[in-house]
Amino acid sequence: MCDINLRLVAWMDGELPADECATIEQHVQSCAECRQRVAAYRAASRDFAGYYSATTQSPLKSQPPRRLPRWVPMAVAAAAAAIVALLLLPRTEKQAVPAPQTAKVTAPVALEPTAQPPEQEQSPSVTAKRRPGPRRPHLVHEDWAIGQPAIQIAIPADSMFPPGAVPEGVAYIANVSFAADGSVQGFRLHQ
Amino acid sequence: MSGESIPLNLPLSRFATDSCEATTLFQELRKPLLRYLAGLGLPPEEAQDVVQDAFLSLHKHLSLGGSQTNIRSWLFRVAHNRARNSQMSYTQRMSESLDPVFDTASTDASPEQSVLEKERLHRVATAICSLAESERQCLMLRTEGLRYREIGEVLAMSTSTVADTVERAIKKLAEKCNV
Repeated sequence: MCDINLRLVAWMDGELPADECATIEQHVQSCAECRQRVAAYRAASRDFAGYYSATTQSPLKSQPPRRLPRWVPMAVAAAAAAIVALLLLPRTEKQAVPAPQTAKVTAPVALEPTAQPPEQEQSPSVTAKRRPGPRRPHLVHEDWAIGQPAIQIAIPADSMFPPGAVPEGVAYIANVSFAADGSVQGFRLHQ
Repeated sequence: MSGESIPLNLPLSRFATDSCEATTLFQELRKPLLRYLAGLGLPPEEAQDVVQDAFLSLHKHLSLGGSQTNIRSWLFRVAHNRARNSQMSYTQRMSESLDPVFDTASTDASPEQSVLEKERLHRVATAICSLAESERQCLMLRTEGLRYREIGEVLAMSTSTVADTVERAIKKLAEKCNV
């Protein structure tokens, strides 16, 4: 066994003065055990470099795309299931239950731009009283189902698409109208 | 050593005013600095910040007429000190997550070879984690191609202490990895 204490790693790294370097080189050429040590040190250096490289890659790579929260796919699936369920609701009971008089329409209603008489505009009670007159056209969207729905719901696009995947310029994806008895009266997908 | 010594024959006297020289230096040293900081346990975003801070400090240092010698070790030293000051879990990175190393096993190898390779990598990882902090730091800087003198400047050690530390660390690894 070779008992000579040599600075083999510093020699491998070229960190020794020339005379010491020459001495070690001469010894290593004649000593099989030291040659074996040098090979083991080189392998250890390679192993360390490989480990170091593998564990320090992340700062050099671009950031991975942000993962969607887990609830997003579930929310999308639930919303889709709700729409399908609404579409499959039976419509037969619609006629049996009379629509209440207080049913409200929440769809946007355009106000008719009519020219009011000057004296009517000055009247303080103009907003409280409604004069009988020619029936104003009810400006519910033409695509809605026939008859007055109890509730109309516009489904926002961001409830169906994950964040960032909402098509540009699309705020709502569908309109659903319900009769007073809860049955679906109309369903329209936005183009 | 896997990291080649980086030639830094740059006329740094113009660094403070010449953006081209600054860009060259940044491109040459950014990745080694980021690797070293990641090895110290800094998360990627923080490592990027520290590297930018180090280069800003270098710009200031040279603008004020600071020494232009050993810029590489100067940058590593500044980055090292910033990393320490950030109070991050200092040995975390080299002590946890061994998965990246295990994933490097060749996919072309047979199942038996693959198992043996994973066992060997596990031994390597365990051996590295058992090293002292200063030993790991010396080996990281050595892998980045720094000379013993430069490592000593970064870690505030004498060159002979660095030589002893590197020698001891490599012997430990060789002993534990080649069982």
